[in-house]
Amino acid sequence: MAEQKHRVTINNRGGAVIEVAEDQTIYDAALAAGFQLPIACNYGGCITCAGKLLSGRVRQPKGTALNKRQSQAGYILMCVARPKEDCAIEVGVETHGQLYRNPFAAPQKRSV
Amino acid sequence: MANNGSGPGYASPAEAMKAGREKLLYTVALYVGTGVEKPDYLATVDVDPDSPTYSQVVARTEMPQIGDELHHSGWNACSSCHGHAHMSRQYLLMPGVRTSNINVIDVSDAKNPRHHKVVSGEDIKAKTNLSAPHTVHCLHSDIIISMLGDADGNGPGGFLHLDQNFDIVGRWENDLGDMKYNYDFWYQPRHNMMVSSEWGAPNTFMPGFDLEDVGAGKYGQTIHFWDFEGKKIVKSIDMGADGMIPLEVRGMHDPASNEGFFAATLSSNVFRWWKTDDGDFEIEKVIDVPTIDVEGFPVPMPSLITDILISMDDKYLYFANWLHGDLRQYDITDRANPKLTGQVWLGGQLGKAPEVNGVTVQGAPQMIQLSLDGKRLYVTTSLFSTWDNQFYPDMKDKGGQMYMIDCDTENGGMTINPDFVVDFGNEPNGPSRAHEMRYPGGDVTSDIWM
Ligand code: FES
Repeated sequence: MAEQKHRVTINNRGGAVIEVAEDQTIYDAALAAGFQLPIACNYGGCITCAGKLLSGRVRQPKGTALNKRQSQAGYILMCVARPKEDCAIEVGVETHGQLYRNPFAAPQKRSV
Repeated sequence: MANNGSGPGYASPAEAMKAGREKLLYTVALYVGTGVEKPDYLATVDVDPDSPTYSQVVARTEMPQIGDELHHSGWNACSSCHGHAHMSRQYLLMPGVRTSNINVIDVSDAKNPRHHKVVSGEDIKAKTNLSAPHTVHCLHSDIIISMLGDADGNGPGGFLHLDQNFDIVGRWENDLGDMKYNYDFWYQPRHNMMVSSEWGAPNTFMPGFDLEDVGAGKYGQTIHFWDFEGKKIVKSIDMGADGMIPLEVRGMHDPASNEGFFAATLSSNVFRWWKTDDGDFEIEKVIDVPTIDVEGFPVPMPSLITDILISMDDKYLYFANWLHGDLRQYDITDRANPKLTGQVWLGGQLGKAPEVNGVTVQGAPQMIQLSLDGKRLYVTTSLFSTWDNQFYPDMKDKGGQMYMIDCDTENGGMTINPDFVVDFGNEPNGPSRAHEMRYPGGDVTSDIWM
């Protein structure tokens, strides 16, 4: 069966477009295309690889590292995220501005 | 390296204290979570004041894989093998908490450590259903490593057993009892005892610190005492609100002693633990660092005691308050009544010492390592990449630091040495974070005497 592929545009890597198969992670496809993105646990448990989904939809069944606030802010985990359609994303630590917060400073706030 | 053909380390803590001043220091340096997409590395720091490269990184040993989050480390052999001429302290094991890889570093050339091999995290998960390696201790030809999660990153974890070739033997423990989480451990075979502590499951602590997880019981508050030979937990003490997140466990260096200390990090209390004459284990709280109300922060801020150690002569206890930003020295001659004898400030959330020795401090006192003679305390400022990024977000762009504190071992007291600072913000591949430190010949947190 021919594998369905989707076009994923990495906005903050010069708008590079990578082809990602439906059962391939964005991290793996980006690496194959020559982009070393942040990576650590490689199973969705640690948040190191987080980036932003700007448009499109992904599947990330094992993405346990993201809480509701972070998901609502648009974060996905590149090590487990697989595209369901064409997507635009931003990658890397430079997208992490809303990912972390000091829990003693703003424990009740949902997002910045 | 004080080997003398008689096996690694020193005959006794008293002998270790006479070893002479340390010349090199190893620290892990991390790129995880910094934006530099390169592997973490072992940094060798020159700490010999007579050397032209004093207070500088003189060697960098890169790990083969990106994303490890190097954290703590341990030797293939320590003073517990002193007198065994066929053993030598040649390999430093450096686990990656996030990848579960265990990097083995050959330090035959102390000034130029070489990467020797990797025990693959995927292999460890497949063979033992364990992940997230943390504390490494050796016992003759065996190496035991605390593992904080199962293969999916859930609790309780367990203990990994490696042989002297770093091949996986399997799981070390026979019975975990009701242990929910794992973290550090310390053992003393002479008293057939081991003590282990609890952080949380990797899936909880790796993404960052959330007070909701504390409320949901996802962090530890129990300390475990073991029958070391039977490899089973014999007593667990739930400390409740007083004992939230017990991390580093230390025992007295004197092998005749059957007691030690540990800190409950989030509750910011220090506990003494001991084995009683009839074989039971007990604890008592001996230091309580009060929370501070910080303007604009709705929740009172704990000091967050992240690392704690005992001097080689068992006279002083040191610990770091990573949120408040101070390092403390206590005289523990009276074990049940530690007396505060020294304190210095470096960085921290209270803003008491934002700049030290001409460098803006990123983070605050965190990992500490004391010289064998007890006179110099080295300190680094990073805790854990995701937690750093929450509490000290500038560190990822500016790097962490290493400082040295001069300690008065006669009358007590601490002063920041004005001539020593290693700024990991200036590393050639970009700013990195420095964490645990080790001396090539063994130190006050690596070696156990039997
Ligand atoms: S690398 Fe850990 S969540 Fe993706």
